[in-house]
Amino acid sequence: MSNKKDILYSLQRNISERYDMPDIDLLEGIVYPDPLEKFIEVSKAVGGDALVLKPEEDINEFIKTHYPEAKTIASNLREIEVATFNPDEVEDPHSLNGTDLAIVQGEIGVAENGCVWIPQNVKHKGIYFIAEYLVIVLDKTKVVNNMHEAYRQINFGEKGFGVFISGPSKTADIEQALVVGAHGAKGVTVILK
Amino acid sequence: MSTKHTKAAERFLSDKQQETWHNETLWFVREKRDRMAFSLPEWEDLREMANKIKMHTITHLDKYLDQFSEKAEANGVIVHWAKDAAEHNQIVLDILHGLNAKKMVKSKSMLTEECHLNDFLISHGIDVIESDLGERILQLKGEMPSHIVLPAIHLKRQQVGELFEDKLHTEKGNSDPTYLTRAARQHLRNEFLTADVGMTGCNFGVAETGDVVVCTNEGNADMGTSMPKVHIVSMGLEKIVPTVQSLGVFTRLLARSATGQPSTTYTSHFRKPVDGGQMHYIIVDNGRSDILGNKEHIQTLKCIRCGACMNTCPVYRRSGGFSYTYFIPGPIGINLGMLRHPKEYSDNVSACSLCYSCNNVCPVKIDLADQIYRWRQNLDSYGKADPLKKTMSAGLKFLFERPGLYNFALKFAPLVNHMPHFMVYNGLNEWGKGRELPRFAKESFTSMWKSGKVKPKK
Ligand code: SF4
Repeated sequence: MSNKKDILYSLQRNISERYDMPDIDLLEGIVYPDPLEKFIEVSKAVGGDALVLKPEEDINEFIKTHYPEAKTIASNLREIEVATFNPDEVEDPHSLNGTDLAIVQGEIGVAENGCVWIPQNVKHKGIYFIAEYLVIVLDKTKVVNNMHEAYRQINFGEKGFGVFISGPSKTADIEQALVVGAHGAKGVTVILK
Repeated sequence: MSTKHTKAAERFLSDKQQETWHNETLWFVREKRDRMAFSLPEWEDLREMANKIKMHTITHLDKYLDQFSEKAEANGVIVHWAKDAAEHNQIVLDILHGLNAKKMVKSKSMLTEECHLNDFLISHGIDVIESDLGERILQLKGEMPSHIVLPAIHLKRQQVGELFEDKLHTEKGNSDPTYLTRAARQHLRNEFLTADVGMTGCNFGVAETGDVVVCTNEGNADMGTSMPKVHIVSMGLEKIVPTVQSLGVFTRLLARSATGQPSTTYTSHFRKPVDGGQMHYIIVDNGRSDILGNKEHIQTLKCIRCGACMNTCPVYRRSGGFSYTYFIPGPIGINLGMLRHPKEYSDNVSACSLCYSCNNVCPVKIDLADQIYRWRQNLDSYGKADPLKKTMSAGLKFLFERPGLYNFALKFAPLVNHMPHFMVYNGLNEWGKGRELPRFAKESFTSMWKSGKVKPKK
């Protein structure tokens, strides 16, 4: 088997001219007059939904009315009283199969593409993907304009996994017809508070 | 002389309806890409930045791969190095054997296609399951992808319906895409839950952190790495970007260029193995370091495999991915095939009209058409030049070198407009096959200029 030394040597041998690294900070990313509004608009455009919870609205009531059919509801967030179980208490991620709805915490919203950054903040990352529907709770003051701003702020946490999620899982592999709900969530709602 | 490409293209063109659909659908994807590009005032700056970052990175790969692998190892990842496809495949098999693993679920990876990994593993008794819907369809059908991002773009829904009827026992005659996708979801959910190991490709490897980033719309890479405890990443050594900050430049370009989406649904960043599990990176050369030493073609190493050059290519759209003999079609595939084996894949260099559209859409600004042009100039050295085209070019050269005769010839060119069709589209005129000749202008530009019919703009 080859080793690192052989391969790095073969690269060195073939590099003749070395190019400089450009200054990324010179690139000006798009800035929106109202990033929150743009974030909501794009979240809808990518097949998801995003809305600002009014001060008088209760998040648990909201979830109950929007997901009346959800029976197994996973969340490790203290405020989510409608949760039927805490996914962090599940030993084996395979047992998460069959979850109707998961409610998780997001950290950063990105206006330009509707992405929400979620550093792994649950025991098994599988819960982000295996639940039939996903609700992401996000602080509405944490919406940035573009990915450059987002990458300046992201943190990873202990688990060593993080994901940007933009809308529900989708595919167009059959005749380019868009179908929502390929392997992951069939619907994603971002609740901004 | 027809190349393999023109012959295969003829077969594709014989199904007029399918050809029209293919052409229009890919053009629609190209238009979506344009809308995305135009929505960002900094689009061209982004492309230029991506180009520069990649040129810098590939010419410092020795340094960055060293940094990347050290960081990864510090994060608990096991890093392997493979100089070619055979080593890559053996490493995968050894990992699987070491774990006594029987079933591996895969997300889309062009590198594993390049290495023919699936056949190798299957021949050693491993159950390999492709999990991207398009790839799974092709695996069940026993076909290769015809596009790097839209692998099953050559199939109609009825064909998928019939396939699923047979393999997944779906309802007879039901070819509704939503119904079929749901059936695949159920079928693959079961595979995710019973796999021992998950394998993914890699869109980007971040040198400063040792992270691997994988972008999908379906979430299959995530499902495949969330249920099994072992994750194997197969990555070409050119996939490196220096920093997390530079990653932003590429994630902004990738989905917009590929499918006209502002982002893929999932942009997943893997840093450490899951608790109690394993993560392996296999860093593969397989000819890439040689390309680094090839000044004329070094830029192919910048490719982020977005597929935009295919969607825009008039030849690809009208001839389909299977008309190319290399497993990656379109402008980038023509070049990569030639770099792999010039004699074997030189048929593809004819599949280009030198319209340069690929150069203009490529998010990392690869000089795709220029490279194809250069291959053509050197075809003689592979003994593959087309004798007919050679005669035609020799004739043109003769004319170009004799301006008087050139002008004379041009004067009579409009006569072609009135020649009977059979004379223009005879057996000797290869271009007439599948192409209509452009109409020659009644008067050449030079003669219009001379007679004062062309007014210079004030
Ligand atoms: S060559 Fe450019 S346009 Fe073609 S797949 Fe690669 S990055 Fe995309």
